[in-house]
Amino acid sequence: MDIVVNDTATEVSTDPDTTAVEVVREDLALTGTKLSCGTGVCGACTVLVDGSPTASCLLPATALEGRTVTTVEGLGGSHPAQRAFAAHDALQCGYCTPGFVVEAAAFVDRWRAEHGDVAPDRAAIADAMAGHLCRCGAYEGIYAAVAAACRGEHDTEPEHAPPRAEAMSKVTGEATYTTDVHPDGCQFGVIVRSTAAHARVRAVDGGGSPLVDLLPDDRTVRYVGQPVAAVVAPTRAKALAAAEAVTVDYETLPAVLDPESAREDGAPVVYPSKRERRSAPSSAEGATVPGSWSGNLRRSTLGSWRSATATRRLRAAAERDDPNLVTAEFSTGIQLHNAMEPHGCVARWDERGQLHLRTSTQTVGVLAREAAKRWGLSPQQVHVVAEHVGGGFGAKSGLTTETVAAVELARKTGTPVRVVLDRAEELTDTGNRPGTRTRLSLLATPSGDLAALGMDVHAEGGVSISSVAALLARLFYGTAPRRLRDIDVTTNHPPGVPFRGPGAAPMLWALEQGVDEIAHRRGEDPIELRRRWDGNPKRHALYDWAAALPVWLERPTAGSATGRFRRGVGVAAANWHYMANPGTEVEVTLDRGTVVARTGTQDIGTGARSVVTNVLAEELGLPVERVRVEVGHSATVHGPPSFGSQTTTSIGPAASDAARGLRAALRERVPETPPEGPVPPEALERAEGMRVVGKRHRDRRGYLTPFTVGDGFALGRGLSGAVHVTEVEVDTRLGRVRPTRVWAGVAAGRVYAPRLARNQCEGGVVQGVGYALYEERRADPATGTVLTDNMEDYRIPGIGDTPETVVHFHEGGWDHVRGGGVGLGEVSTIGVAASIGNAVFNATGWRPRDLPIRPDRVLKGLGS
Amino acid sequence: MTTPTTVHAATEALASHAGRARAGGTDVVALAHARRVEGPFVDLHRLTELRGISRRPDGSTLVGATTTIAEVAADATLRAHYPALVATAGALATPQIRAVATVGGNLLQRNRCSYYRNPAFSCLQSGGDTCPAREGEHQHAAVIDQGPCVAPHPSSMAVALLAHEASAHLADGGSVPVAELYDGTDPTRDHQLSPGRLVTGIELPPPVPGEAAAHHRATARSRAEWPLVEAVARLSISDGVISGAVVAVGAVARSPVRLTEVEDALVNSPVSDGPPPAALAGITGLCSPLPGNGYKVELLRATVTEVLERALRQD
Ligand SMILES: Cc1cc2nc3c(=O)[nH]c(=O)nc-3n(C[C@H](O)[C@H](O)[C@H](O)COP(=O)(O)OP(=O)(O)OC[C@H]3O[C@@H](n4cnc5c(N)ncnc54)[C@H](O)[C@@H]3O)c2cc1C
Ligand code: SF4
Ligand code: FES
Ligand code: FES
Repeated sequence: MDIVVNDTATEVSTDPDTTAVEVVREDLALTGTKLSCGTGVCGACTVLVDGSPTASCLLPATALEGRTVTTVEGLGGSHPAQRAFAAHDALQCGYCTPGFVVEAAAFVDRWRAEHGDVAPDRAAIADAMAGHLCRCGAYEGIYAAVAAACRGEHDTEPEHAPPRAEAMSKVTGEATYTTDVHPDGCQFGVIVRSTAAHARVRAVDGGGSPLVDLLPDDRTVRYVGQPVAAVVAPTRAKALAAAEAVTVDYETLPAVLDPESAREDGAPVVYPSKRERRSAPSSAEGATVPGSWSGNLRRSTLGSWRSATATRRLRAAAERDDPNLVTAEFSTGIQLHNAMEPHGCVARWDERGQLHLRTSTQTVGVLAREAAKRWGLSPQQVHVVAEHVGGGFGAKSGLTTETVAAVELARKTGTPVRVVLDRAEELTDTGNRPGTRTRLSLLATPSGDLAALGMDVHAEGGVSISSVAALLARLFYGTAPRRLRDIDVTTNHPPGVPFRGPGAAPMLWALEQGVDEIAHRRGEDPIELRRRWDGNPKRHALYDWAAALPVWLERPTAGSATGRFRRGVGVAAANWHYMANPGTEVEVTLDRGTVVARTGTQDIGTGARSVVTNVLAEELGLPVERVRVEVGHSATVHGPPSFGSQTTTSIGPAASDAARGLRAALRERVPETPPEGPVPPEALERAEGMRVVGKRHRDRRGYLTPFTVGDGFALGRGLSGAVHVTEVEVDTRLGRVRPTRVWAGVAAGRVYAPRLARNQCEGGVVQGVGYALYEERRADPATGTVLTDNMEDYRIPGIGDTPETVVHFHEGGWDHVRGGGVGLGEVSTIGVAASIGNAVFNATGWRPRDLPIRPDRVLKGLGS
Repeated sequence: MTTPTTVHAATEALASHAGRARAGGTDVVALAHARRVEGPFVDLHRLTELRGISRRPDGSTLVGATTTIAEVAADATLRAHYPALVATAGALATPQIRAVATVGGNLLQRNRCSYYRNPAFSCLQSGGDTCPAREGEHQHAAVIDQGPCVAPHPSSMAVALLAHEASAHLADGGSVPVAELYDGTDPTRDHQLSPGRLVTGIELPPPVPGEAAAHHRATARSRAEWPLVEAVARLSISDGVISGAVVAVGAVARSPVRLTEVEDALVNSPVSDGPPPAALAGITGLCSPLPGNGYKVELLRATVTEVLERALRQD
């Protein structure tokens, strides 16, 4: 079959069952085009067929015959749309970017031909980009980029480097992700998963194929989709067939599939013995919180403070019907991480018995250490590479199943083995943010101070435990007495894992609406009330900013709106503990006049490369072109994992220290080097090969935790803060809530890479919108099988659902921290849903209690 | 696989069971991945004679079966005469799907029930003998209960074409009104065309002069989402009174349905008062929701109100 691909006539063989994306990515090795959902929803696989953007994952390869195909590689890197995406930082992890860029290129050309060099409005851009999803939520940048390209602002070579160090490689499709790696002789592994919700596995028969066991020691599967074994074959199709031929002999055990029945006496128990309970996975970051079990429930009261006083006050207030007491039940749905790049690993054992892993991970260092431990190697014998990572959000930490499977299969076969999850596996068994049911009691004194707080959070994390939602309420609103109880309700469902701000998102959904309700009852301005309750000076600065916003000053009185479309404005505050990774180092070496920096961290879209680049360029007075940052390799100095908002605040100061060290060393070798100001390029050249390692020195006054915990991080002093002011429009007829504008104030100190930080905060708003309005994992009640295992049924926000977002940084207040700035990845998203809830209340007088705020719930709530 | 270039060859291939028809492939390929269909396939994309939109001397319009949804959405003549059809086409799926999805394939696509699309389950639509959705997850299920299966019919185009009283032309010379393509009581299929038959085009009757029409889909997200409820209304108005009404709805039943009770009640009502509430009252009686999808009754009423109001505003 003849096709013209990127202007070159090409012949490809056609199997009638293959899809165009397979031809492009596998036969033609044009891996810029990505495969993400595989069901026509996300647009990552978009290519131009005869100039028209087409989803290649559902397109039979045969349909390409005699056509011209343009992939992202064919745009050449100089299309105005590509330049605009780079210049406006219209991307984070970059996995969705090739699809967006191809669509944008066609749209921009068409638009300019029809309308001239004027910008389309937001709706026109949203219509054009409606077939693309970006889980990082870089939509604000995408709007800006498409508009600018249409205005003709990117027709010539840019004068400045783009704000994101690796932007050009992501907009051209050059950036290599784990899913793009196919070493010679590589075989394909497929995981065989449990079809039973609860069973003891008597035997597994490979049907003739080599097979590795993935069962836990007790040979028990506890949810549908749990890994049982893995098989391997030279092609993915053969591996799938081999997986099909595996038979698993289950001794079925009674399963418990909903949290209600899990509480009942006599319910089947997920973890009957002490030993089994100890094996339960944790959905929290760091250590599992202590708790006491009874049946399927596990209780922790760790966060409580003067609990007896709180209980007494709440009870008395209830008895006297105190108008200053708010009690209500809130619930949240189960949210899935759904990174656009699925989990994947290509594993290879070399002749020396060392292990090479190409993994989509947010923790290269931790993964190397855990793999070393598991396979009896020293950490230096495990080489983890994650050059680009297509999103993580918490789900790609440590040693995950696909890596175990790939390593074991590679050992068994002696060849490299690649295991990449499909979207159904990704949306079933790579973690989730547990659902919650929260009973909130909030009591104010007659003069309007906080008197007591009670919070019981029942977490639905499937087989996982250690929900910390109520615990995190300890960090809010001073030291008033509080009774905080986290109750894990275990069921036979897939486990939760940390997800951007674990615990805080569901907790704030309840707490921040409770605070709003108190303010409403007292007839007070909700920002004023928070200002009184919250002693934190950094958040006070944000309250001042928010209170002065015109949208806030002119907000309607709650429930006063009439008519079909009702506008409302809501506010929510958030804070997040500051964490750092004290062992972090940045190594710099001089290579032909370029400063090459390395650290054992990775860039999952958060901008680690750019942070180090900016710090080095600024401190050494060099143009960014003279700095190259290599991350995503474990075989270098220690770097932080990309979670817990600890990356930037760890690598930034270490890079500063490296810059200082380099300048000092240069001054010894090349005396002309000035003590400050620009380092002359000749000095760099003359000191070829010089190597200096910078450290992340201790903060002034040290850390709250004397030793590092978990994966080597320390809890620092101080809380970062955020205040979201959100405007919504509620369509009372059709039950739709549309977030129209958001003002996101973030207090995380110094901002190392301003455009990228803004992008993070904008993306945090988008993920918060998804959590608030659309996202919800649903499972079959009879079998426990996840039904929303595709991107059609698991609904994440698209570009048209993105509110216009203004980000405001308050940079002061972190002088005790090295570098003066802390992380903002989590604090920028956790309060968004509550601000939407409060805005809906403001618009309609009806307070949504359950997430997501679906149209059916709105219609019911408004009772119209 | 065969790739015929003439309708004749395609018919022969289908009749001799050389394979099943594959047009844009957007549904067939997805179903093959879910192991619900298997090749070989008879590819229709080279049947250029079936692609295109033509106005016929009697005023009717023929839309070729392999015309893409994007072509329908962009066609100026269709927009002038059948605006609700064009709006329907422009709102369904995504631009990259509309670029290849065809009108014929859209009408004959399979339902989107998550049980049916998940190879782990067996149900009435995949050769089994139960419907796990009824007792299980059914928030998007049909509320107008027509039979044992409750997967709403997926085709948006079918709703608009039903509203326009269009019919499908078949390669063997036959013609089937769109209304008869579907039978909501049949729990094993999503359309009634027998496997070997080829749709060549869709005939739209001549436009009604002065008619007002509107389309709306109720969704949670702003774009690219399957509708919770979809509706098309066509209204003829003379002397300030509704003289003719067609209301077709989708995503609420096993087949696209005309709300004839609503239509009848609309006729002769004055335009100035907006859609008469009495005309919509009958909707509740048509519905028998399951425990988890009762909201669709109200949403159906709201969506119909929406299209009626919009059509009336155009007058
Ligand atoms: C993300 C997404 C969102 C979507 N949203 C919507 C939506 O909102 N509304 C909607 O209606 N659809 C929606 N769709 C479905 C899409 O519109 C259909 O998949 C598409 O229209 C099918 O057309 P096709 O040409 O690709 O059909 P194919 O997949 O090629 O074929 C579908 C069926 O029709 C048969 N067939 C095709 N042509 C003929 C013919 N000429 N004669 C006889 N048999 C024929 C095939 O044998 C097959 O059984 C969505 C799809 C996706 C991926
Ligand atoms: S609703 Fe229909 S398609 Fe869905 S499970 Fe029931 S029978 Fe199958
Ligand atoms: S991979 Fe094709 S649309 Fe998502
Ligand atoms: S940048 Fe879009 S998915 Fe990450």
